[in-house]
Amino acid sequence: MAGVFSILKRLYFSIYNWVVFYGWAQVLYFAVKTIKESGPEHVYNTVEKPLFLAQSAAILEIVHSLIGLVRSPISATLPQISSRLFLIWGILYNFPEVRTSFLVSSLVISWSITEVIRYSFFGTKEMLGVTPSFLTWLRYSTFLVLYPSGITSEVGLIYLALPYIKSSEIYCLRMPNKWNFTFDSYYASLLALAIYVPGSPHMYTYMLGQRKRVLSKSKRE
Amino acid sequence: MKVSVVSRSGREVIKGGLELDDSATVADLQEAIHRKTKKYYPSRQRLTLPVQPGSKEKPVVLSSKKSINDYSDGNSNNLTVVFKDLGPQVSYRTLFFFEYLGPLVIYPIFYYFPVYQFFGFKGEHIKHPVQAYALYYWCFHYFKRILETFFVHRFSHATSPIANVFRNCAYYWTFGTYIAYHVNHPFYTPVSDIQMKIGFGFGLLCQVANFYCHILLKNLRSPDGTGGYQIPRGFLFNIVTCANYTTEIYQWLGFNVATQTVAGYVFLVVAALIMTEWALGKHRRLKKLFDGKDGRPKYPRRWVILPPFL
Repeated sequence: MAGVFSILKRLYFSIYNWVVFYGWAQVLYFAVKTIKESGPEHVYNTVEKPLFLAQSAAILEIVHSLIGLVRSPISATLPQISSRLFLIWGILYNFPEVRTSFLVSSLVISWSITEVIRYSFFGTKEMLGVTPSFLTWLRYSTFLVLYPSGITSEVGLIYLALPYIKSSEIYCLRMPNKWNFTFDSYYASLLALAIYVPGSPHMYTYMLGQRKRVLSKSKRE
Repeated sequence: MKVSVVSRSGREVIKGGLELDDSATVADLQEAIHRKTKKYYPSRQRLTLPVQPGSKEKPVVLSSKKSINDYSDGNSNNLTVVFKDLGPQVSYRTLFFFEYLGPLVIYPIFYYFPVYQFFGFKGEHIKHPVQAYALYYWCFHYFKRILETFFVHRFSHATSPIANVFRNCAYYWTFGTYIAYHVNHPFYTPVSDIQMKIGFGFGLLCQVANFYCHILLKNLRSPDGTGGYQIPRGFLFNIVTCANYTTEIYQWLGFNVATQTVAGYVFLVVAALIMTEWALGKHRRLKKLFDGKDGRPKYPRRWVILPPFL
């Protein structure tokens, strides 16, 4: 019984990782193609569909972590995925005004390169049981540049959207009400920006530690 | 006795080691290290006995009250200790004082001063009696906490890393502001009079119970903090390990029943989660220590933190 389960699991993850890999590969391809042919302001329009599909599929990763199908702790997956979903659904989807910024290009390229490497890393691992060392190296090295570029793009886009968030009053809930509850998207976005201040060094040093651990281990093997 | 002080990577922290009396205490050792390395005052030093490479055991931490002789096995002329820098430290009393001072100062600002005009609410607004009682209740709570910090709490560690000042103050001060904003809001909707009275009444009862729990815990430790772990007994501790957390959680529940804000309930849930994690750790530690073997008492069957759930 356990054997069947582990084969099913491997099959599921192989399919999952390669399908999502394909989504992100499309995003990267369209982004680069559009920048070359039309310019950065048009990138959003061409990548919109595959971007939303590939990124939203990542909600499954929260489920995987919660039900224990993967080892990653929920404390690492949740903040990562929340910030991604906040950017695409909270910012880009709601505020077309920021879609033409070059930050969209830097965001999408940073994310898609990272994800193309990450999903092919896991896809190969699930399918073959091992990963080629160059893929491991890529996974634990490209973040050195892509985390700063990605985070800068995220913070930049949230910041650009702030005036539109404030004036649109989207999702805002005011008092008086029975539960004395308020929600203000503008202040929530400010809070999100504030979280990046301790959050980014935390994520970066976590990856640095992972890099040290994984790359030194594979050197010894 | 010659004491070698090495870092976890094997490097000698004090070249040539230190020469100490066999009767010297670990505290003396820490002083000696401090004299040689001005930066590392004693509370910043974590000294452990070396572990065998590959061993899964946790390293033995040297206790400052013990003699260095207690840690050298038979080979009494040499002792090797592993040094770790814990980073800049701040006393627990200082940490607690500042994290509690924020809520104590910030909340009344939202009650007494016309801050809501900065959020776009002009003009006078009516204050409900419950808002005044909430102010007194809240301030009493944090004032009590500060007094307990200075007169009741006996700390097992004297200090905490300085980074915790930022983390803890962010937690208390942000939540304090979040709740103060909502309870003192011009459009605040009070609950019924009876609900308010039940909430505050129950909350006050729990605060008194919580204070008594703190007194009981304090008496488990001797004044110089060498108590180590004891089985808590008496009052609610007979049925729940962390009765102090239990009463604290229920006390906030009372406040929220009386004031009814989502902000307050969010704080309650987060605080309860944090305390539950602490309680699980403490309960496990006590069960492991008091296993009933070698003449030690066996830790009795008790709830961890929130009967009847955990």
